[in-house]
Amino acid sequence: MFNIPSRTEAIKKYKANGGKVAAVLPIHYSRGLFRAFDILPVEVWGPPRIGTGKSAAHLQQYVCSICHNALSYIQQGGLDIADTILVPHACDSLQGLGSILLDFTPPRQPVFPLYVPRGHRQSGLDFFAAEFHSLYDRLSEMTGRFPRNRNLLASIEREEAADSLLKELHTQMRFLPSSNSAIYKLIRSREYLPAEEFTQLAQDILKMEQGTPRQGTPILLEGIVPEPMEIFDALSNFDAVVVGDDFASCGRRVYPAGTSHDPFKRMAERILHAPPDPTRGNSFEERQAHLMEMAARTGAAGIIFYIVKFCEPELFDLPILQKEMREAGLPTLLIEVDLNSPFSQQAQTRLGAFLEMIQ
Amino acid sequence: MTNDIFAPPLKTISHSSMMMAMHFLKGRRPEKLGKVAWVTSGAPVELLRTLDFYTFYPENHGAVCGSSHQSVSISIEAENLGYSRDLCSYARTDIGSILSGKTPLRTIPPPDLLVACTNICQTVLHWYRVLAHRFNVPLVLIDTPFIYDEAADHAVAYVQKQIEEAVKVIETVAGQSLDMKRFREVTSLSRKASQLWMQILDLCQQRPAPISAVDQFIAMAPIVSLRGEAKTVDIYGKMLEEVEERVVQGIGALRNERKRLLWDNLPIWYALRYLADFLGTRGIVLAASTYTSAWGKLANMFNPDNPFESAARTYMHPILNRSTGDKMKTMMKMVNDFHLDGVILHSDRSCKPYSIGQMDQRDRFINEHGIPALLLEADHNDSRSFSEEQTSNRLEAFCEMLGV
Repeated sequence: MFNIPSRTEAIKKYKANGGKVAAVLPIHYSRGLFRAFDILPVEVWGPPRIGTGKSAAHLQQYVCSICHNALSYIQQGGLDIADTILVPHACDSLQGLGSILLDFTPPRQPVFPLYVPRGHRQSGLDFFAAEFHSLYDRLSEMTGRFPRNRNLLASIEREEAADSLLKELHTQMRFLPSSNSAIYKLIRSREYLPAEEFTQLAQDILKMEQGTPRQGTPILLEGIVPEPMEIFDALSNFDAVVVGDDFASCGRRVYPAGTSHDPFKRMAERILHAPPDPTRGNSFEERQAHLMEMAARTGAAGIIFYIVKFCEPELFDLPILQKEMREAGLPTLLIEVDLNSPFSQQAQTRLGAFLEMIQ
Repeated sequence: MTNDIFAPPLKTISHSSMMMAMHFLKGRRPEKLGKVAWVTSGAPVELLRTLDFYTFYPENHGAVCGSSHQSVSISIEAENLGYSRDLCSYARTDIGSILSGKTPLRTIPPPDLLVACTNICQTVLHWYRVLAHRFNVPLVLIDTPFIYDEAADHAVAYVQKQIEEAVKVIETVAGQSLDMKRFREVTSLSRKASQLWMQILDLCQQRPAPISAVDQFIAMAPIVSLRGEAKTVDIYGKMLEEVEERVVQGIGALRNERKRLLWDNLPIWYALRYLADFLGTRGIVLAASTYTSAWGKLANMFNPDNPFESAARTYMHPILNRSTGDKMKTMMKMVNDFHLDGVILHSDRSCKPYSIGQMDQRDRFINEHGIPALLLEADHNDSRSFSEEQTSNRLEAFCEMLGV
């Protein structure tokens, strides 16, 4: 439906113009910082269906498939095109993966860790700004470039413009003339397209917005990443319409514009003021309020927790969030997945039964 | 344990267990406790101690449940309400205990305050958020950035700032102000107890090792749970004397020590005796453990003259908050210092930060250092993830490799 360049196309085009590429693991980082160095950040959420053949020699089977697949992909040479790898700290498993990459199985390119502070306080913001400064120094060393503050701010503002449109896409997704699957391919292109290309794409598509909402049962999704993406087609087949999400890869990264004139503080505040995220330590009350607001705004009839197996940040929150959503009158369904398995027949059946119940 | 295999248990270990029993007994009378704080094992407890909190360690409670073979039935209470079996078994035990009231301690005192420090894992962040939601009490979070290489100055400043900012919350709950003189004294007591604990462990460099890691797992409870108290210094002072006496007399934890191993990761609480017997009957002593030494290695970082900054540095540096490569170096040093013949790496399903990296560490031990190493799959508190038959087979093969 939409003409969205693939990851490979985006990378080749960027490299052809003399730029570099950073492979970025989940979840939070500053795109603007990389772009100020003419480095395109391309995110690696898995990727799905890579298998654990290579990673199984380094990671135990009780580690999630996001980490397994990332390591397998690196070891297969899938990220050889990247000039550097960034591993933000999101959980114990990504922490371990970053540490292994630095200490035991170093890839051919430099690996940079980034610690994301937990909790919400001024000291965390100051620390995060200093972390970005430290990453700036490493990128300078790698590229020989030293972007000035005004260049950094311009780069951040370009990302803010793109994120503003990303927010608009999230808000208007029910009114876009396309399928669940096509809309999420568009939203997820933010994971790798340069901000200016994403902005152009999003503007064109938002012009196609129609006055009437797509028909179907309105559903919210929650989790880390919408993989396997077959869930979108499955939802369409059951006449369900995704009206919003709380995915770490999508809705939780609709970063607001910052206010600080210090570029590093601005990078930090944008992330720390984003929608609540258990990996950043937000409370249940914040998460519940966010989900309830989204449900009320979108008229959602139910919420599906689409959880990657072994994901502690998600699994810890699940019982309380499910209970509170149900008590608030919002039916819930849990589907646990592995990035190396297709969307199963069993999951389809459960999804069908759930939607039948709430329609 | 079989007397012709093992030396008699240390008297002071019995005393330390008694000390813990008294502490738990005291917890049965919440009305007489004053303020209660639930604390993670790596949290800077000195502030709480200074302000007279009764401290309760859910991890320690989890270990008690595991040792008494009650953790599975208690965990099921949490699982029945949706807490996945893929979550940490300490957390499931704790949450299950809260939800059901089941505990071998008969009752546990509810918290007025929660203190979680991420220097052992991110799990505690999520776990303590559940507790904060359940009890509706303040949660003090001390976020300690993971050290991939060296602790950056801005990271130390961040942790120090959080500890300083925590004072106001803790004072409010305590209803009293922090006495800096007392805070320094408590810091000094933590330093002293940790130093004594490390001295005890270091005596296991002797042949035969006077105590085993299995003894240490029992003896470590006060350094985890009662750090900063005078009685903890006292008990470890006496324990050091008793262990020194054993060294002088040439008494080992095993009567016939043939091989010496390093244990990595948490103990398998419900199978401690099984492991001790299996290894002991073959003359194998676990002479050192990365887990028990975690509370001793940082002893000299405590500085009573500069309690806030030193707390930041100390509590940033536990082995669990340092890189997989740093842990490898630590283990290699222990292998050399303690004259060890091999390593058992407990791949603990419930502790990802401790376990991730072990597969490469094992390979490096074997391939680069020629040191036998075994990866043992289990779970520290959930016996459903432990197969005695499979474990026996793997241990048997490992013993053959060691030549015993």
